[in-house]
Amino acid sequence: MKLSDRIENGIVIMEPKGKIMGGPDATLLHDKLHEYLENEHRQIVIDLSKVEWMNSTGLGILISGYTSLKNHNGALKLANVTDKIQSLLTITKLITVFDTYDSVEDAIASFSN
Amino acid sequence: MQKPVINGNRISIPSTQEYLPDVDIFIEGILRGYGINESIIADIAISVSELVNNAIDHGNKKNEEKRVTVTIEKNSEAVSLIVTDEGGGFNPNELADPLAEENLLKEVGRGIFIVRSLMDNVDIAPSENGTKVTFTRALK
Repeated sequence: MKLSDRIENGIVIMEPKGKIMGGPDATLLHDKLHEYLENEHRQIVIDLSKVEWMNSTGLGILISGYTSLKNHNGALKLANVTDKIQSLLTITKLITVFDTYDSVEDAIASFSN
Repeated sequence: MQKPVINGNRISIPSTQEYLPDVDIFIEGILRGYGINESIIADIAISVSELVNNAIDHGNKKNEEKRVTVTIEKNSEAVSLIVTDEGGGFNPNELADPLAEENLLKEVGRGIFIVRSLMDNVDIAPSENGTKVTFTRALK
């Protein structure tokens, strides 16, 4: 997995690429999420368009980011959820937890609502 | 510590997540060689990653002297895989329900549930010498 990230109008956009299966690569996403949190960034979008698949380790990282941000009055939003990840979110009922958007732009706009 | 060892349709790795990508490349390569569609390949790859993670963490308890082995076979109707570890075994009936409201936001505990959801048959056989998980996925 590779990870790129940027900030647009104060909102962090993280773009993992590849597979999130565990090991050092997955730790990178977890650590980067929490690094932004520690640096007072409270609005984060994860663009999943380039994630081929993830397993429960990946879901655990998303949950960690979601709960940590929520506990700091922030929010984690998911954009461009692929069919494979949507299926995982559905069978694990996590689709009821996460806010998902069809595009990064829609996810960013949701912070203004 | 021996690095990944490949022998025909079998790969064996030391108990460290460092080698998860090696297992994935090996398994997906074989599945593509079988001509299986990409959606099924992803489901199997996810399941293998879950079970190898479990074997490393809970079976072998990250003891790199102990190994995790994945074997893959195919017949005309299904792909079958076996994941084994060398740990003390665990009771699959003791796993918490990850869909229960109190567990929904837990960061761990979904691996076996996901495998059971994605695969057609999952048999978990714990023993004192390790756990053997056998699972199949129909091709149609």
